[in-house]
Amino acid sequence: MGTTGPSSTDFKTGKPWGLGFPVITIRDMVRAQAMLLDHLGIESLFTVAGGSMGGMQVLQWAASYPDRVFSALPIACATRHSAQNIAFHEVGRQAIMADPEWRGGRYLLENTNPRRGLAVARMGAHITYLSDAALHRKFGRKFQDRANPTFSFDADFEVESYLRHQGISFVERFDANSYLYLTRAMDYFDLAADHDGILAKAFHRTPARFCVISFTSDWLFPTSESRAIVQALNAASARVSFAEIVTDKGHDAFLLDEPELFAIVRGFLDGAGKARGLGSES
Amino acid sequence: MSTLSRADIDVSSNGIARAAGGARVDLVLVTEMVERGAKVLDVGCGDGELLRLLSETRDVDGRGIELSREGVNECVAKGLAVIQGDADTDLSNYPDDAFDYVILSQTLQATRQPRIVLEHMLRIGRHAIVSFPNFGHWQVRLQLLFAGHMPRTDMLPFSWYDTPNIHHCTIKDFRQLCTAVGVRMEKAVALNAWGSPLRLAAPWWFWNLFGEQAVFLLSRRD
Repeated sequence: MGTTGPSSTDFKTGKPWGLGFPVITIRDMVRAQAMLLDHLGIESLFTVAGGSMGGMQVLQWAASYPDRVFSALPIACATRHSAQNIAFHEVGRQAIMADPEWRGGRYLLENTNPRRGLAVARMGAHITYLSDAALHRKFGRKFQDRANPTFSFDADFEVESYLRHQGISFVERFDANSYLYLTRAMDYFDLAADHDGILAKAFHRTPARFCVISFTSDWLFPTSESRAIVQALNAASARVSFAEIVTDKGHDAFLLDEPELFAIVRGFLDGAGKARGLGSES
Repeated sequence: MSTLSRADIDVSSNGIARAAGGARVDLVLVTEMVERGAKVLDVGCGDGELLRLLSETRDVDGRGIELSREGVNECVAKGLAVIQGDADTDLSNYPDDAFDYVILSQTLQATRQPRIVLEHMLRIGRHAIVSFPNFGHWQVRLQLLFAGHMPRTDMLPFSWYDTPNIHHCTIKDFRQLCTAVGVRMEKAVALNAWGSPLRLAAPWWFWNLFGEQAVFLLSRRD
């Protein structure tokens, strides 16, 4: 949920911000993190790591504060959100806004909650985090708690039941307006656009060591996106490693138990630790 | 080739293809050609043995490109700066003069466009180091001449139908390519079948016949 968001209280009115909250960008998020570090007196970071939107923040950190980032680990991300990804986000937002309980974003004031809209948004998004192969492996065409189809619109299939569960449990921990703002922040992310359209300029003379990681079955942030990051870093003469990990788990793989991911991250961090003159734990 | 000195490199291998530290002799030879603290790109770096050797003995800032995913992931897990990529297509992404040395170790014969790869190497780097198996070696010649089949040796262990090597060359061929591309040959070493350097005074034809592999240090002709 981050720090301050649309469900926070607007100190001027004493009411939740709702849609009065300004649209924020990935760069704003990173700037807020940097301000927090300033406040804490932390000058530089040994490593900035993250996947997906977190990976976008990693890239933004390297571009905005090159001297404060010793190493960077962008995983399953891109330097700009693709048209397909913006399209998926828009479907999710429209689902939320189509829920009558959303009330033009004023649901906190009116004591409603666009649960159904947010759940549908999450169900759609969740599909993009998986892969055809993983869905087939986990669910196939298996029925949920029944031997035969009911020929109705019940959740006959296991995959339907799973998605409904994902949607419902998400509503318990996520604010609908925050979902709108966060997806919008990703949509607006385009690192090259901030640097005359030349991505390599974003990383000009960066002293950081990079390790870019992608997954073979990730179709939300496919390997081609990571390759574009690597090409730009090479063009900027940055020290970059790049590994693509074979998995059928899709975009979600960066959150799951992937031994090869762990081995690569460990190797990269150990190497960075040595370069920084830090002792190894092992 | 009056500018060329065939290097006197001390590898106390005594007929063993591995040097004292256990590293492959050809890799040790490459290492000896690199200045300390240099910035190096290893094209086709495999499992990263040369990069590791270079960083341990020469304190270089090393990077690598490797085609196989297994090789890349192994290198990155070792903490090496390696990316998955193809020598034939990805060298064009690097800016001019990005490295002091660009190394192509036992990979030249597997590239689709050896000449273009070589030209890119000397655009990206001030120096290029190329090592390759010599197809002019007597064993190779005899196998084709008398046995009548595509040669298979320790250096070239593949059958013709599943080899990654598509552009074999002899030491003589490689020197001609260097002349055609207009690069300066600074040093060269040929190793015999036991991994020992051939006598410096030996003529080129002798190298071409008895050298099982060769290592060349090249630079741009200014």
